[in-house]
Amino acid sequence: MAEITFHGVTKVFAGNVTAVDNLDLHVADGEFMVLVGPSGCGKTTALRMLAGLEEISAGTLSIGGRVVNHVLPKDRDVAMVFQNYALYPHMTVAQNMGFALKIRGESKAEVERKVREAAAILRLGEYLDRRPRALSGGQRQRVAMGRAIVRSPQAFLMDEPLSNLDAQLRVEMRVEIARIQRLLGVATVYVTHDQIEAMTMGDRVAVMRGGQLQQVAPPQVLYDHPANEFVAGFMGSPPMNLVRARTSPSRGGVGLAVGDQRLDVPGAYGASHDLPREEGAEVVLGVRPEDIDVVGSDVSGPTLKTRVERREALGAEILVHLSVADAGAASSVAYDEDVAVSRPTMLVARMAPQARVEVGDVLMVRLNEERLHFFDGTRGVTLRRGGA
Amino acid sequence: MTGTTVGARAPRLTLRRRRQLAGALFALPAVALVAGLIAVPIGQAIYYSFTQWDGLTSTWIGPSTWTQAFHNPNLWTALENNAWLLLAVPFALGLPLLIAMLLHQRVIGWKIFRSIYFLPTAISWVVLGLVAERFFAFQGTLNSLLHFFGLTHVNTNMLGYESTALSALGITFVFTMIGTNTMLFLTGLATLDTSLEEAARIDGAGRWRIFRHITLPHLSRFIQLAFVMTVIALFSALFSLIFVMTGGGPGYATTTMEFLIYQTGFAQGDFGTAALYGLILFVLTAIVGIVQLRLIGSDE
Repeated sequence: MAEITFHGVTKVFAGNVTAVDNLDLHVADGEFMVLVGPSGCGKTTALRMLAGLEEISAGTLSIGGRVVNHVLPKDRDVAMVFQNYALYPHMTVAQNMGFALKIRGESKAEVERKVREAAAILRLGEYLDRRPRALSGGQRQRVAMGRAIVRSPQAFLMDEPLSNLDAQLRVEMRVEIARIQRLLGVATVYVTHDQIEAMTMGDRVAVMRGGQLQQVAPPQVLYDHPANEFVAGFMGSPPMNLVRARTSPSRGGVGLAVGDQRLDVPGAYGASHDLPREEGAEVVLGVRPEDIDVVGSDVSGPTLKTRVERREALGAEILVHLSVADAGAASSVAYDEDVAVSRPTMLVARMAPQARVEVGDVLMVRLNEERLHFFDGTRGVTLRRGGA
Repeated sequence: MTGTTVGARAPRLTLRRRRQLAGALFALPAVALVAGLIAVPIGQAIYYSFTQWDGLTSTWIGPSTWTQAFHNPNLWTALENNAWLLLAVPFALGLPLLIAMLLHQRVIGWKIFRSIYFLPTAISWVVLGLVAERFFAFQGTLNSLLHFFGLTHVNTNMLGYESTALSALGITFVFTMIGTNTMLFLTGLATLDTSLEEAARIDGAGRWRIFRHITLPHLSRFIQLAFVMTVIALFSALFSLIFVMTGGGPGYATTTMEFLIYQTGFAQGDFGTAALYGLILFVLTAIVGIVQLRLIGSDE
């Protein structure tokens, strides 16, 4: 078991394409670190560099305090679970799991004992003599896990291991992988593009975009205090509402203009955030869907007049799509999706299924004044003092 | 209301039966084609092997062709030559496998090498035979090369001696098969999931183990196919090489079953015996094919 450190790690592919740009990341011993981000963000490249499958262009990468930049994959003592599992098709489950041990020169009895132990953890005991093609997707996934854990490696590397499973199995395996990782206490780097996996599995989550690390923090911290607009919009489903607004004069508090409406923000934000003092400066206001409530017209605080454009019933909750810009107009929203000349500001609100909301209703909504987020209008970084 | 509902009478054929009938009807043209092109000629060959046939008129003579043929030493020489040539098969598979592995590693200039190795496949075997004949001749390229490397006292004449002519033929055959088999193995390698190799590298496997435990098992089907194709080519496609290079000689040193059929039928005008030899060759090839199919089948 060991800790992993990326120090200024960069990967430049042929054609001068920078896949990973100056990555600094520390994974503590026993920690479950999730690398998350959209396709092409560099997360898989970072993992492959850690595995030794890609050369490192610059920086240093160390495992257990040893710099491994030029160490062959076989000498790094890491185990990897591939997206397509990469099970050896002509070998049985037991042979697949024992392959690395056999190469290491362990005795037949020892290999068999370790394989049986791992199979017991993964509930694979009855499938040991089967070939991969005779297994279901979930079973194959477990064999891939088994192949990794029999080796008792210094670190587990997992490259989107659940992406080939159906939704239900994915939920089950999510719990299973997290359970095994906690049980074994081995440092794990887990790559995914699924922010739900990131939120539910990781001790900490590193969000990447365009080869650059955006933020690394425990899941709840990422959710509550995103470092920038990208993280705010990436974590959470549906994502945080990000609304373009301009500062406007206010007595006591902070005034914002959202579309043609005025929004009063508590004065405390002026102290905790670096909100622009000048009038008319652009900021991005962030509010989570669950922080929007329907209220009466006489309520004070950060309220907006909106119109219900769409209603999605999800059973346990409903998602209500609200337009802000022309909330004053009685007629339906007059804008062309294709031309988008005056596209209204949209908000998504999460409401209880009992909420009596229909398309076309004009609603006064109140934003949870304790849970507002502000980002720089041009750079997108949080305006919270002290950053994330 | 009396009587039964119109259209409710029981169908004459069940759905299952109708499907079977349709299947049989669709298969009929293919069956007729196979029968016409394979079964009929085989039946004719069996019939002619019991006749004396000069190509125009045939006379029934019973099994005497069969008894005489097996006393003909030339038949046994040809069979022996075929057996010896089987020794070329491992080379006709091994060399292309090695080349394919190297090309698959994307060595510098691999695209040019790929074209060069495939070139013989696009050239007529008659031309290849002529080139080989010039290569092995007493004043040919082989001796020139040997002399160039200082071996001036060595003068080979592989096609001129009974002891070496068959080897020269075998070497030429290996050369002609390299292109096809290399392409076949390259195709096989292209279908190998690279993550398997990566997984093996992380599991601690070196080059040899990856080849032995990952690449080779993956290629087994391609190797089996190449084996069947190579053996069939060896038994039934060497005619042009032999005709151009040695004419079956010296003596009967390079006469294979295939060439013997030609000599017996067309040079000696004994089509009855030639038909019998054809049957023997067919059985030999079929045995190889069946054994191979069994091997492939057992893998499933």
